[in-house]
Amino acid sequence: MTATTDTAAGLPPPGSEADLARRRAQEERLRKTWETPKGIRYWTAVNNTEVGVWYTATAFVFMLFAGLLALLMRAQLAVPDNDLISADLYNQAFTLHGTVMMFLFAVPIFEAVAIVILPQMLGARDLPFPRLSAFGFWSFVLGGVFVCGSIFFNAAPNAGWFMYPPLATDEEQSGIGADIWLLGLSFIEVASIAAAVELIIGTLKCRPPGMRINMIPLFAWYILIVAGMILFAFPPLIAGDILFEMERMFDWPFFDPERRGDPLLWQHLFWIFGHPEVYIVFLPAIALIAMIVPTFAQRPIVGYSWIVLAAVGTGFLSFGLWVHHMFATGLPTISLAFFSAASEAVAIPTGVQIFVFIATLLAGRVIFAVPMLFATGGLAIFVIGGLTGVMVALAPFDWQAHDTYFVVAHLHYVLIGGMLFPIVAGIYYFYPITSGKMLSMRLGKIGFWLMFVGFNVGFLPMHFTGLRGMPRRVFTYPGGLGFDWLNMVSTVGAFVFAAGVGVVVWDVVRPKSREPYAPRNPWNAGTLEWLTTMPGENWGVRSVPFITSRYPIWDQPNLIRDVDEGRGLLPDAEEMKRETLVTSVLDAEPIQCLRVPGNAWSPMIAAFTLGGVFIALTFKWWIPALVSGVAFFCVLMFWLWTSTSLIPEKPEKDVGGGLVLPLYRSGPASIGWWAMFITMTGDATAFASLVFGYFFYWTVHADFVIDGGGPGVLWPMIAMGLLLASWAVTLLARRWNSADRPLPARLALVTAAVLAGAGGAAGLMGPYTHGMAPTTDVYPAIVWILVIWTAIHAAVGVIMLLYCLARSLAGRMTAVYDIDMRNVALYAHFLAMTAVVTFAVVGLFPLIN
Amino acid sequence: MGSSIGKRRLARRAAAVFPAVLATGCTGPQSALDPAGREAETVAHLFWVMTIGGAVIWVAVLALAVYAGGLKRQPVSEAFAFRLIVWCGAAIPTVILAALLVYGLYLMPELRPWTREAAAEPGLKGHVTGEQFWWRVRYDLPEGAVESANEILVPVGRPVHLTLTSPDVIHSFWVPALAGKMDLIPGRTNRITFTATKPGVYRGVCAEFCGESHALMALTVRAVEPEEHARLIAAEARPAAVTAGAGLDLFIAKGCAACHTIRGTPAAGTVGPDLTHVGSRPTLAAATLPNDQAARERFLRHPDAVKPGIRMPAYDMLPPAEIETLARFLGDLT
Amino acid sequence: MFLHGARNETLWPLMGPPTVWALHFAAVYGWAAVACAKATPDDSMFLAARWGIGALTVVALAMIAYAGYRAWQIWGFGRFDPPHAAGTETDRRRFLGFATLLLAGLSAVSVIFVGLPALFIAECTW
Repeated sequence: MTATTDTAAGLPPPGSEADLARRRAQEERLRKTWETPKGIRYWTAVNNTEVGVWYTATAFVFMLFAGLLALLMRAQLAVPDNDLISADLYNQAFTLHGTVMMFLFAVPIFEAVAIVILPQMLGARDLPFPRLSAFGFWSFVLGGVFVCGSIFFNAAPNAGWFMYPPLATDEEQSGIGADIWLLGLSFIEVASIAAAVELIIGTLKCRPPGMRINMIPLFAWYILIVAGMILFAFPPLIAGDILFEMERMFDWPFFDPERRGDPLLWQHLFWIFGHPEVYIVFLPAIALIAMIVPTFAQRPIVGYSWIVLAAVGTGFLSFGLWVHHMFATGLPTISLAFFSAASEAVAIPTGVQIFVFIATLLAGRVIFAVPMLFATGGLAIFVIGGLTGVMVALAPFDWQAHDTYFVVAHLHYVLIGGMLFPIVAGIYYFYPITSGKMLSMRLGKIGFWLMFVGFNVGFLPMHFTGLRGMPRRVFTYPGGLGFDWLNMVSTVGAFVFAAGVGVVVWDVVRPKSREPYAPRNPWNAGTLEWLTTMPGENWGVRSVPFITSRYPIWDQPNLIRDVDEGRGLLPDAEEMKRETLVTSVLDAEPIQCLRVPGNAWSPMIAAFTLGGVFIALTFKWWIPALVSGVAFFCVLMFWLWTSTSLIPEKPEKDVGGGLVLPLYRSGPASIGWWAMFITMTGDATAFASLVFGYFFYWTVHADFVIDGGGPGVLWPMIAMGLLLASWAVTLLARRWNSADRPLPARLALVTAAVLAGAGGAAGLMGPYTHGMAPTTDVYPAIVWILVIWTAIHAAVGVIMLLYCLARSLAGRMTAVYDIDMRNVALYAHFLAMTAVVTFAVVGLFPLIN
Repeated sequence: MGSSIGKRRLARRAAAVFPAVLATGCTGPQSALDPAGREAETVAHLFWVMTIGGAVIWVAVLALAVYAGGLKRQPVSEAFAFRLIVWCGAAIPTVILAALLVYGLYLMPELRPWTREAAAEPGLKGHVTGEQFWWRVRYDLPEGAVESANEILVPVGRPVHLTLTSPDVIHSFWVPALAGKMDLIPGRTNRITFTATKPGVYRGVCAEFCGESHALMALTVRAVEPEEHARLIAAEARPAAVTAGAGLDLFIAKGCAACHTIRGTPAAGTVGPDLTHVGSRPTLAAATLPNDQAARERFLRHPDAVKPGIRMPAYDMLPPAEIETLARFLGDLT
Repeated sequence: MFLHGARNETLWPLMGPPTVWALHFAAVYGWAAVACAKATPDDSMFLAARWGIGALTVVALAMIAYAGYRAWQIWGFGRFDPPHAAGTETDRRRFLGFATLLLAGLSAVSVIFVGLPALFIAECTW
């Protein structure tokens, strides 16, 4: 298939009057279809070019806020025994600094940048679920403002960003701040998982034809891996948040040792999230470097496969490191040793990445520019952080360095060198794509040197401050212990660094209306995002080219012309509908023309109503929480009903070049099915974390399972049986629906819903009839959590089944157009698995114990 | 064998030269780089070796990166670039990391041998409880338990076995000059063993964030020769030096005895630190104040101004004369 | 599904060797943790765990070696050097083979690293 040759399509000869008219008419339709609304309706936009930029800007605002908190802390620590701010304010400041930098800057900025450039890089019009991106953004804004705003009411979390119980579960000492942290961030974590789902599918299924898996831009490889990591890293934290909030809100003793809970379970769950998190932050930034280096070396990357090795390898190994945050908790020596070993191993892929970049530069002719300056400076800083990381990975050294300023220095060398500098490099590099203008070389250089020098002056001494005995998270320190002048130097450095950040921020926001637009592809890069015109159009790519190289702009002659002249695929929007291509995973063969939804209020309202639930719960306003929850449910139903699984006006369409693609696909061929699959994988991970909690308590206590104190065998087995029956009937419904037998299908849907509802209720009956009191001991508490988890999933299953019934009755779900039915059947698989595990654990495990 | 000893000697020499260079930057009563304990010495060693090695690697990588980023240079061949990735990116780091890991794994049971045999070794046994925001210390002597607070007396050259617990939140016991840290976790009993190698006074701190005054939770460890230690411990075990008088009467009348114990008197509270020999301790309020009359008065009047979040109430309603008497009484409890 | 060369090609084989690493890691960590938590006075459980970790390490290395061999085969036993950058099915397959081989190498080293503690650490912390 050669979509860029025009003869097959019967197009008029290039340059002719008829050809120009065709192009103009197409552009008119595309522009109208992808138009961003004006006025108040501007905020209904869901297109990646709008949402991505909002997202990036918001993440930066949060970063600057957290940076100001850091300056406040450095000012307090400039001299010994300082009383500039109170102990409590200092504790709020460092807690919020860590929390905001990690949850509201480092992770979201990767999602934000990916939303802006990933579709462009893959020659796609948009990501596959634009409304989900918008929902994620609005959730992020609301949750972020809620968490940050708390400090102005002296109500910010003050127990550290790691929130260790029992300090953080103590109502008196942690106040409402801990609830704000738990609920505000859980809300944002949900949005992060939504973004991960979207980015995985965006990378695997929305590529231009011809871009096989061995040709995708390295940035996309990294995004794929990182999104996958989010899917396994965030759910354990969500599970931990649930246990934590149940303890704070209802006094369930998960972390209270007096009732056989254990504070260490939180540490495990937190760091199972927290360590992969570091790589979730680091890898996308390195991904930017992997795009910048080839451009400025003016040659393809050397060692593409090695980068893939490094990204995949790091993604896996990063899940075997978490206990190195717990080396001093008194775990068995051998447990520490496993994590020490994996922590050393993870340095290998990191070293590979650095040498891939060096090798590429060596094999190219380097053009130096501001992005390269930041990339190289970041490397110099990051390598120090990597080397100190190898040091603290050795448990004996970590026993000294842990929780001291040595670790403060280490983590800032890693994150600022490995993340902030590359991000700034990326901003200088990609800025023309978002605005059509270039940033200033001069300001960039000034900003760089201030940042680079300030950073090292600020943080290098901290290695010694720490080893000379200064612990972390202290609001003051006595003089004369040998770290007075070291702290003063660090404070000076921090302010110089902040000045550098200020210069960069000024460069980005200063008015540029008088400056000329940048030339097209200003850095002479080779990848598709640089097809964009200056300024860009909302449609992303004028027409989708056929790709035959990793660096198509360098290697494919006439590529820009063909794209501009609409000689690729999807050159038009005949039906005035937003469309993008769906391709196969390995070889990127076009398999569907996907209609993506347009601008709407529903994502924003859904985010605000869901946010309302979390915020109301923080203050224990039960009624508003309920009202907000019902409102969210209604908005969600409206959203799903009106914009998903729509039956197209025709089964297929000519997307150009004589290629005819279906407009609707269901089952594993559809992106919605994969979205369900990926979401449920994350959900299953959270569930697995709760089950891990059960067995964790079992290892801690010799007699964890209380004889006769459990839910018995009968009710759990009834529940399991009912839920498995519901699963079987759901599969029957799917079969009858496909066979175009709507009546039995509808009856089956109703039956399955009843069985699922009964199954969930029967699950609750076990602990209920046995009088298990969750506030008395951790055993009944964890059993209750498992059955409640399963019952809630059963309830969601009921809603889904009834939704399918309604769709069927409304004629919106038929034998052919059956996305809903197939996705619900997929959900049923996961529900059945959850039921089997839950009821085997709570009902049968006590028998063999 | 011979070469490994030679290497070790070389490493020792390097480790000896560098501290000398940076000596002024590393000493201190709370410095892990000015070690006075067996574990701390080994780790300080390890630190210098790794730091020197790391510095060499950093200079090499950066030099290569700057050279690679140079503008007027002939590009190298792709095959060479490829070999660079294989060797410098993958092979050499793997070998270095493997060696480092093996050394670290060898050290772990070496440095923290809290096994049944190790526990049976003769040495000082004790128990430390971290409480917001001070340290309860108990010596488990053959003649019985002796309680103290915020100061630990240890014999030089003999192992010290401490069990560590916490009744409130997580703390971490860290005396950098002697050994690395170990957490004190509610519901769990942790253990740490260390051996002081030089007499001296070493400062320790709480290293796990434990609430508002986490920064003000320190302690001192005094390492003395074993004979001296026996004498000091015997003194510690004795009842208070003052068991009657105006100071004690005030102490009891104002309710101090509800929380504090002074052995040999009716004061037997257990909420706060044992004050039997508070006058002999070098510091006050978990090593945040010097132990002098002015500091004692200040602390009695406004403990929460010294230490935000402290559980001890303020006694600023007492007339100055009474405060003075109380403070003097406490100072006399040597 | 987790080996190259199956009829329906997917991306999963790439994840094969690191998945073996992850399973090995979870198994040895879980085994040692339970052995220490439920330790008997005679230390027999821990001794069994040490031997078990050794055995699991050998099994994991064998699985990685097999996956690596298959990947090497797909790559053409090293006859076709990277970059594997062309838009052909052959290059795509060679790329996946080569990348899987690299991952097998990294996974093997990591499995050995994670198995090493069983050699050095003879007791649970009491």
